[in-house]
Amino acid sequence: MNELLGDISRRDFMKYCAGAAAVLGLSELELFEKVSEALASSSTKPPVVWLEGQDCAGCTVSLAGALNPPASALILDKLSIRYHETIMAASGYVAEAAYEETVRAGGYVLCVEGSIPIADDRFCMIAGRPFRRTVEEAAKNAAAIIAVGACAAYGGIPAAGPTGAVGVGKVVKNKPIIHLPTCPVHCDHLVGSILYFLATGTAPPLDKVGRPKMYFGETIHDNCRRRSYFDNEMFLTDWNDPEQKNWCLYEKGCKGPDTYADCAVRRWNDGQNYCVDCGAGCMGCAEPEFYSGMSPLYTADSKRSRDIMARKKAGLIPPLKEEA
Amino acid sequence: MAKRITVDPITRIEGHLGVTVEVENGKVKDAWSSGTMARGFEALLQGRDPRDAPYVTSRFCGVCYSVHQMASVRALDDAFGAKVPWGGTLLRNLAMGAEFIYDHILHFYHLTALDYLDIMAVAAYNGKDKGLNAVKEKVVGLVKSKDTFPLTPRYEPDEFSVRDPDMVITAVKHYIDALAMQAKARNMGAIFGGRQPHYQSLVVGGCTQYPDVNMVAKFRTMLDEQAKFVNEIYIPDVLAFGTGPLFPLAKMGLGGGHYNYLSYGAFELDKNGKQWVFPAGVITGLNPGKIKVKSFDPDKITESVKYGWYKDDKPRHPYEGEQVFDLDKKDAYSFVKAPRYKGRPMEVGPLARMLVAKNPDVLGLIKKGAKPGVVARHAARAIETKLLVDACYRWCDELLTEMTKPGFKIHDTAHYEPPEKGEGAGFYEAPRGALGHWIKIKDKKIANYQAVVPSTWNASPRCEKKYRGQYEESLIGAPVPDVDNPINVVRIIRSFDPCLACAVHLIDPQSNEIKRFAVE
Repeated sequence: MNELLGDISRRDFMKYCAGAAAVLGLSELELFEKVSEALASSSTKPPVVWLEGQDCAGCTVSLAGALNPPASALILDKLSIRYHETIMAASGYVAEAAYEETVRAGGYVLCVEGSIPIADDRFCMIAGRPFRRTVEEAAKNAAAIIAVGACAAYGGIPAAGPTGAVGVGKVVKNKPIIHLPTCPVHCDHLVGSILYFLATGTAPPLDKVGRPKMYFGETIHDNCRRRSYFDNEMFLTDWNDPEQKNWCLYEKGCKGPDTYADCAVRRWNDGQNYCVDCGAGCMGCAEPEFYSGMSPLYTADSKRSRDIMARKKAGLIPPLKEEA
Repeated sequence: MAKRITVDPITRIEGHLGVTVEVENGKVKDAWSSGTMARGFEALLQGRDPRDAPYVTSRFCGVCYSVHQMASVRALDDAFGAKVPWGGTLLRNLAMGAEFIYDHILHFYHLTALDYLDIMAVAAYNGKDKGLNAVKEKVVGLVKSKDTFPLTPRYEPDEFSVRDPDMVITAVKHYIDALAMQAKARNMGAIFGGRQPHYQSLVVGGCTQYPDVNMVAKFRTMLDEQAKFVNEIYIPDVLAFGTGPLFPLAKMGLGGGHYNYLSYGAFELDKNGKQWVFPAGVITGLNPGKIKVKSFDPDKITESVKYGWYKDDKPRHPYEGEQVFDLDKKDAYSFVKAPRYKGRPMEVGPLARMLVAKNPDVLGLIKKGAKPGVVARHAARAIETKLLVDACYRWCDELLTEMTKPGFKIHDTAHYEPPEKGEGAGFYEAPRGALGHWIKIKDKKIANYQAVVPSTWNASPRCEKKYRGQYEESLIGAPVPDVDNPINVVRIIRSFDPCLACAVHLIDPQSNEIKRFAVE
C-alpha cells in the first residue's frame, strides 16, 4: 500500500527533520524518531481546518504540489482534513456542518490562507458570514495556528488595496501564530511546520516577525549563486545575452539582500528552479513589507533598490570573503 | 410550490461562490450566481509601474495564475510596442502548455470527479488487481476508522452516479495517481516559468529564462510522462464515463445554457499568428449540424454592473470600465460584473474553444447524441489537453532549432521601459475560458487596469436586458428531486471549472457607512 500511496518515507522525514533538529538541538535521528512516534501513537489523525479568505488558492495549489512526501499521503493518511473549501467533497450546509462540529470539538491545526478585510466585513463573506468572525471563532479552540502564505501572514498584495486587508495576527491576538510568508507558501515550509508541531506539540522557534527560523534565518542574497557578480557590480541588463545570463539581477529589481527565506538553497518545485535562477530576481515576498514596500518589482527604480545600493556603497552588504 | 435553496460555499472551485436556485416540481426554475469576495486588485494597480501588473494579476488566481500573467504581458506588449522574439514566444507557450495540462488534470480528477462517483462502491470490488485492492483497503480503512474526511461528508449519490465497483475503484486510483501527475506537470512548467504557482519569468517583451539544451531535454522527458497519462488514462476515463454511465446526463444535455460560445484564441503555432491551437471566434445560438463561426471583434465587449455591488452605470467597454463600489445597492447580488458580447451572454472555456475550432472529436460526440452541456464540457477539456501535449512536443523541437541560430533572442530589450502614455489589450485563453486584460498608461504609470476573466463571463449575474449569466441559464430545468441533495446544481457549476477570485472587481469604497446584509 505504501508503494502505491507513497506514504511518508523515512528518507522524506529525514529531509524535513534536518532543519528542525538543528534548531531544537537534537540529532536528526532523535527528532525523526520523535515524529514517527507521535504519528504512530495517535490512533486518530490530527484534524485540520483550513480557511480561505481573500486568497487566490495558490497556497493550496502549492501544497498539492508536494511530492516528497506526496500530497496524497498528507490528505488521506496523515491528516484529517475536516474543512477545506478547495478539496472537500461537501458543499453548502453539509460543508458548514462539518466545520462547526470540528470547531466545537477543538484541538485542530488551523491553517488560514488569504488576508482578512477589516475595512468592511462584506468584502469577504463565506456561507453568509464575515470571514473575520470565522477566523476569530476558529482560532479560539485551535491547538496551533498557521498563517499560510504572504496574505495570511502580513496582508500581502491585497494589503495594498482598498479593502483593509490584514494578516491573521491583526485579528487573532494573544495566541502564537506560525507565519509562513512567501507568495505562495513553499510546500516544504508548510509540511515541515505541521510535522514539527505534531512531533513536539509546540511551534518551531520563530523570528521577531513570527517566521520559523529554520526556514527564514538567512537572506536570499546570503546563498545566491549570483552573489559574486553583485559584489563586482556586474548587473544583467539584457536577457538575450548569454554572457550575462548568470549576472546579478539587481538592475532587474532583485530584492534578495532584504529578503529572509531559504529559496536559494531549497529551490522550488522539487528543486526545478526558483525566481532568481530563472532570471527574474527576488521580489521580497517573504517580508512583511511585501508587496507595497517592494514595488516597483521588475526594475531597480524603487526606494528599496536605491536603499540596497546605498548600503552596498557604504559597505553594509559586504562582499563574500575569499576562502583561504 | 417553489422552494428556494442556497448552496454556499460551492466547494472544490477556486474562490468564493454561492448559488441560489428556485426549485419547482423537482426542477430548477430560476437561479442566481453570486461572487462573495473582493480584493480590489485593479484599484491597487493604479499609479504603479506597469511592469508590476503581470506579477500582481497572477495573484488574481492561484490555479490559473500563469494565464493572467500571460494576458497581462500581452497587454503590456501592446501598450509598450514590444515585439516578442519567436524564442520568447516559444518559452511562453511551453510554460502555458504545462499550465493547461496540470489545470485540466486537477479539475477532472480532484475538483469534479467526486460529483459522479458513489465512492463507497469500492468496497464491493472483487477483482485481483493488486493496485486496486490497495485502494479498496485504503478506503475501507478510512471508513472503519470512522474518519473519511475529506471524501465525506458529501451530497448523496443519485440515479446518475456511477456505482460499478470496477469503474469507481479505477477512478479513485486515478484520483491518487493524478495528484502526482498534476504536481509533475507544474514542475515541468517551472523549468521555463521559474517556479509555480505564480510564474516569475514572464515579462513585457518576452521571457527572462535563457534556455539551454538540458532544460529542453528535461521538459521533453517530463512531457513524455504527461502524454502517457493523458492518452492512456485521462482521455479513456472521460470517454468511458461520458459514453457509459453518464451518457444519460449527456443525452439530457444537463447544464446547456445559452448555447452562445466565445473564444479569444491562444497558442500561436507560427510567427505570423495565422495558425493557433485555439482559434478565436464567436458562435451565437449553436446549431450542431451546421456550426457558423463568426470572427471575434474586441470592440463588441461591454460589461454591465446593473446587478453588481457597484454604483449604477451604463454598460461600458473594459477600457472605460470604472466601477465604484456600492454594497447597499438594491437588487444587486454579486461582486461579479456581467460581460456581454454584442449585448449577449456567452459561454467560454474548453467546450467553446473546441466548438469554435470545429474539433472533429467533440463534434463526433455531439453527433452520437451528447448535447452540449456538463458531459461535453468534460470531454472537450480532455480532448484539448491532448492537443496541447502534442503542441508542446512541436514547440520543444522548434526551440531547440531556434536556440542554435545566431542572434537567438528571448526578449525585446528595446521596449522594456514604460512609454509616457499608451494603452494595450491582451487576449488569451485561460483553462476555463476567454481572458482579457486592458491597460491604460499615463506618465509611465498605470492609469487604469481592467480584466474580464472567464468566470466573469460564465458566473455573471443578470444584465440590463435581464439575460441570465451562463451559470444561471445552464441551471434552468436541472433535475433536483430532493432539495436537500442538490447534486446536479454542483455538477453543473463545477463543469465550468469556476475560478472566482479573479472575477470580482472593485475600485474604491465610497461609503463608510456599514450596514449588515445577508447572502441568502
